[in-house]
Amino acid sequence: MRTNTRPRPAGFLAAVLAAAALLLVPASPAAAHNSLKATTPAKNAELDTAPTEITLEFLQKLDPAFTTIVLSDAAEQKVPTGEPEVTGAKGTISIDGTLANGTYTVAYRVVSADGHPVQGSYAFTVADPAGAEAPAPTPAESSPEAEPTTPPTEPGSVSPAAAATDDDGDGGGIGAPAVVGGGVLLVLVVAGGLVLLRRRRSTT
Amino acid sequence: MTGSGPRAVSRRGLLAGGVLAAGGALGATVAVTAVGSDAPSTHPTEMTPAAEIGLAVEPFHGTRQAGVATEPQAYAAFVALALRPETDREALGRMLRLLSDDAARLTQGHPALADTEPELGLLPARLTVTFGFGPGFYQAANLDGRRPPSVAALPAFRIDRLSPRWSGGDLLLQICADDPLTVAHAQRVLVKDSRPFATVAWVQQGFRRAAGAEPGRTQRNLFGQLDGTANPKPGAPLETAVWAPDGPAWLRDSTTLVVRRISMNLETWDLLGRTDRELSVGRRLDTGAPLTGTDENDEPDFKALGSGGLTVIPDFSHLTRSHVTEDRLRILRRPYNYDGVPSADGTADSGLIFASYQADITRQFLPIQRRLAERDLLNEWTTPIGSAVFAIPPGCPEGGWIGQQLLG
Repeated sequence: MRTNTRPRPAGFLAAVLAAAALLLVPASPAAAHNSLKATTPAKNAELDTAPTEITLEFLQKLDPAFTTIVLSDAAEQKVPTGEPEVTGAKGTISIDGTLANGTYTVAYRVVSADGHPVQGSYAFTVADPAGAEAPAPTPAESSPEAEPTTPPTEPGSVSPAAAATDDDGDGGGIGAPAVVGGGVLLVLVVAGGLVLLRRRRSTT
Repeated sequence: MTGSGPRAVSRRGLLAGGVLAAGGALGATVAVTAVGSDAPSTHPTEMTPAAEIGLAVEPFHGTRQAGVATEPQAYAAFVALALRPETDREALGRMLRLLSDDAARLTQGHPALADTEPELGLLPARLTVTFGFGPGFYQAANLDGRRPPSVAALPAFRIDRLSPRWSGGDLLLQICADDPLTVAHAQRVLVKDSRPFATVAWVQQGFRRAAGAEPGRTQRNLFGQLDGTANPKPGAPLETAVWAPDGPAWLRDSTTLVVRRISMNLETWDLLGRTDRELSVGRRLDTGAPLTGTDENDEPDFKALGSGGLTVIPDFSHLTRSHVTEDRLRILRRPYNYDGVPSADGTADSGLIFASYQADITRQFLPIQRRLAERDLLNEWTTPIGSAVFAIPPGCPEGGWIGQQLLG
């Protein structure tokens, strides 16, 4: 008789875990997606010498038609580079000029073998003791309008950039507000459950 | 009395567990629905009484055929006929007189002549019957010189997996209505009267939302995307994009139609997260707005940069690849969804009956299709499995018949 009425911590814990699992399960099943394996220069590298090219190596073979690599300076202005040259799982862009000292962001957008887009970015810093400091950022003019039917794909069209992100993820998943909201809800639900359990305990 | 205490407690325990489970599920639902979606937009519902939907009539006679600029009806059957070898120019005239008479009656809510089910002819539900002439039609009529040059089999595209089951055809009957029974009856009458002259090459049946369900809304395909946002607006833009402005009587007020059957792989599309779907399309799934805008009709900004200097709208997105700004380069899409029987393991047989009208296929459709075939990420989940082209000849006056300017 007593065993029947006793609160069951194990069952309660299971319910909480189940609720938490429901909240945390990703919106889409993660397949074997392409992702960044190695980079030259390396992520967060501090370089004595300005690099002349940037190479990104991925887990899967790249499709040149779906490979974008862009370089931006600390003022979020695009740095002129060549188009990505793709060899197997590697994509390389050559930098047109010499990079002044400063922090740069490399952003990439590629496509996995199953078609899923993958994008992200990372930073590196050039600190050449003999090198020039980056000039004060001046907003550059946009390049001439591209053909309306063929929107710009080439680097060199410069426009004010939105805040650069530093995510290496694939950009998918649950939005932060939703996670926060779900978390708050979970706390409320757990609290409610505890109150009920405590009341039950006091009645027995 | 003995059992009341434990029972009350266990009920409360059950309640607690239930609250927890429900809370967890609710939290998950909130998390999922909050991904990239605002509150569902509410549209004013213009209630159309059911009787009005059944009795609504679209004109049949006129300088241009109905079923092109007509607000798309809920159901469609695209019926492609293959002409019998003996069907020559004179036989084509007899056939088209007969079929035009059927269409003229049925579209106006009258049974066809010798209609074996006359009761089915009484509710037109905005029935339109649109006639299209394939390349083989002009050959059969020995009038290949009058074939609009762009009405020819499309070049092969890398992405094509075309089946004869859904391709070609000499004469097209595009039958559309807001009532599926009306479509079925019209199809039966027209096919029956075609028998002496032609055989059925293929039929594709499709659907959109029910009449009045989403008035004035761009249609959604089975990927959940709004489909047809970039259509030319009614008025001058549509005139420019769709209709032949001049030329001989058999050309003026005509247009052309491309019908492509696009298989859509719901199995792999379902594995794609919402953000990735939107990157592939270049538009928000809920509003249809470009990723750089807030409204469906906002002009996309292909130069806008986002994270780390990448363009907000990927260069491989469907929007980027299909975008045109000049009205003379636009196409009027009037697609229908199809949804066949799933296989035993539940794999869907779903897709789109892509139907586009344009004054000139070579000038308007082909450049867009080439760009899409070359580098549209959506190709990962879509496959063209059928393709056909037709001239849509001018309309006819009362007492006339479709094709009279060409054959008469």
